Amino acid sequence: MTIVAHQKAAKPLRKRIADASEPYLYSAPALILIVTVMLVPLVLGISYAFRDIQLLNPFSGGFIGLDHFRALSEDQAFFRALRNTLWWTGASVFLQFFFGLILALLLDKPFAGRGLAQALVFLPWAVPSFLAGLNWAWLFNPVIGPLPHWMYALGIMDAPNNILSDPHLAMWGPIVANVWWGIPFFAITLLAALQAIPRDLYEAASIDGAGPVQRFLSITLPFLAPTIAITILLRTVWISNFADLIVVMTNGGPADRTQIVASYIFTQAFKRLDFGYASAIALVLLVLLLAYSMLIVVLRQTLLNKG
Amino acid sequence: MASIDIQSIRKSFGAFPVLHGVDLTIRDGEFIVLVGPSGCGKSTLLRMIAGLEDVTSGDIRIDGKRVNDLAPKDRDIAMVFQSYALYPHMSVADNMSYSLRLRRSTKEKIASAVGGAAAKLGLEPLLERRPKALSGGQRQRVAMGRAIVRQPKAFLFDEPLSNLDARLREQMRAEIKKLHGDLRATSIYVTHDQIEAMTLADRIVAMHGGIVQQVGSPLELYDRPANLFVAGFIGSPGMNFFEGRYLVSGDHADLRLPNGTTMPVRKRDGVESGSAATLGIRPEHVILADNGALEAKVDLIEPTGFGIIMHVTIHGIPMKIFSQDRRMLKPGPTIRVDLPQDKLHLFESDGKRVD
Repeated sequence: MTIVAHQKAAKPLRKRIADASEPYLYSAPALILIVTVMLVPLVLGISYAFRDIQLLNPFSGGFIGLDHFRALSEDQAFFRALRNTLWWTGASVFLQFFFGLILALLLDKPFAGRGLAQALVFLPWAVPSFLAGLNWAWLFNPVIGPLPHWMYALGIMDAPNNILSDPHLAMWGPIVANVWWGIPFFAITLLAALQAIPRDLYEAASIDGAGPVQRFLSITLPFLAPTIAITILLRTVWISNFADLIVVMTNGGPADRTQIVASYIFTQAFKRLDFGYASAIALVLLVLLLAYSMLIVVLRQTLLNKG
Repeated sequence: MASIDIQSIRKSFGAFPVLHGVDLTIRDGEFIVLVGPSGCGKSTLLRMIAGLEDVTSGDIRIDGKRVNDLAPKDRDIAMVFQSYALYPHMSVADNMSYSLRLRRSTKEKIASAVGGAAAKLGLEPLLERRPKALSGGQRQRVAMGRAIVRQPKAFLFDEPLSNLDARLREQMRAEIKKLHGDLRATSIYVTHDQIEAMTLADRIVAMHGGIVQQVGSPLELYDRPANLFVAGFIGSPGMNFFEGRYLVSGDHADLRLPNGTTMPVRKRDGVESGSAATLGIRPEHVILADNGALEAKVDLIEPTGFGIIMHVTIHGIPMKIFSQDRRMLKPGPTIRVDLPQDKLHLFESDGKRVD
């Protein structure tokens, strides 16, 4: 009798503990992995922003509070990089979207050899960005590339110079390379959205009397709007963080004319080896992009609710 | 409103022909139903009239004017799609007024046209809603409303009721008929449902394999099907067929079945004795009689409530009988039946009807 009573009292307690810890035990492997590979570096990186960490200075590493941010607020190179980032991101996203949409609309219509054309169009996406940057840098180089000579022959340029070394034009080099490289992303996503539009709607509209432009405005565009919003949001965040092409093609030069925030961070961290300052800049960029993303998400939500 | 004239229309998709020369004259205000099994070319014909498919050869005239090369919007027709094809981001009112807005009608005219159509279809409480907030039946109504606001020359319906459940389909069928009674607009209606065809049509165009099989009033097609296809397609449950040889002996004629038994038929002129022929009778025309001439083995009983469908075998040939006699729910293993002479249809070996 006593044994039974003892067991009755003990079992629920052990079982309660087991029950309570069960979900944590199940999720522990995934949680531990996420915390170690994502949260720890993030927290560490953020903490660098408030510490003096210079690889070449063995006495650095101390906590310095907001000193980096005070320095940043007076850093003209940073503000120039911020303006360049806006220019770089805006032009790249707009042109990628514009040409991507045109390409998607063209590929949506059936024609002979469409399969091959689609495959070719999506090819740049498969090229590593590093390779794409080198390739375009060579194309712009008058010694080995044809582009300056063509532009000279067309009268666009006064002389077959390398635009990458012209402070006023240098930014166009990486932008052109970026547009070439990023068009497939918009073409693929927009084409997928286009093909999801029921054909009946176009037929009904053509019977109702809508011409091609009206059909585009009153059927295609409303159907694409959610996709456009989300792809532009994604691309904006990616491109403003995307320093590969600039580092490869111009390395921020000439005279910092192509320095964007992302490449400035790269320069600070890996050229001047000032990890603390680089982290502070990265933190500012993170906050700006978060604010931008929230804005777009809210905008999209209100549009969807209205729609 | 207008007449529609179709002259030797052909259509091929690549090298694959789907319509082999269709001729059809549709009078002003007539309700025409194109009916046939899937792939018979009925939808293609409708889409050609709408201008959504190119005409391979032949002429389409609306109100006397050749429209082969006109864009859909210039043909002054309206179409109701099977999927309804409502613009999802527009309200019901905007959906209905879209065509008028594109034609730059005045605000007052649009409001009165939309209001009139909405009143006719009972859509007034739904005008501000989006299509996704509507039920299937309501969407169907909006699609019809969108068609009637413009007062086009002709209405084209492409299986408009196929996506509705049976009860709603019945209801909308009656509404379409009522609407046509009010508007008297020339209408072409495509369906594979023969009940819709029978109930709605002034004239039915039965199609099969890209060829018009018969054009006529619903009862003409039911009473005097022009060929085996129409005979088998119109009517539910379908007509029973007996294949055999038509033999004349003196004043009367017989159909001899493959197993050697004969069935007496009325003698017809122009059919050679000894030629292959098919005899047809509708399940509802078979008479159940204790002293009937034929013995039928009962295989299966299907009660429908309205009547009973009996699957039987006569002379080794399966056939169906429709009866409203409740005693037939529990028949014996065999019953006796008569096939009344005046209800028998005879078809020649090429499938054509002989009277």
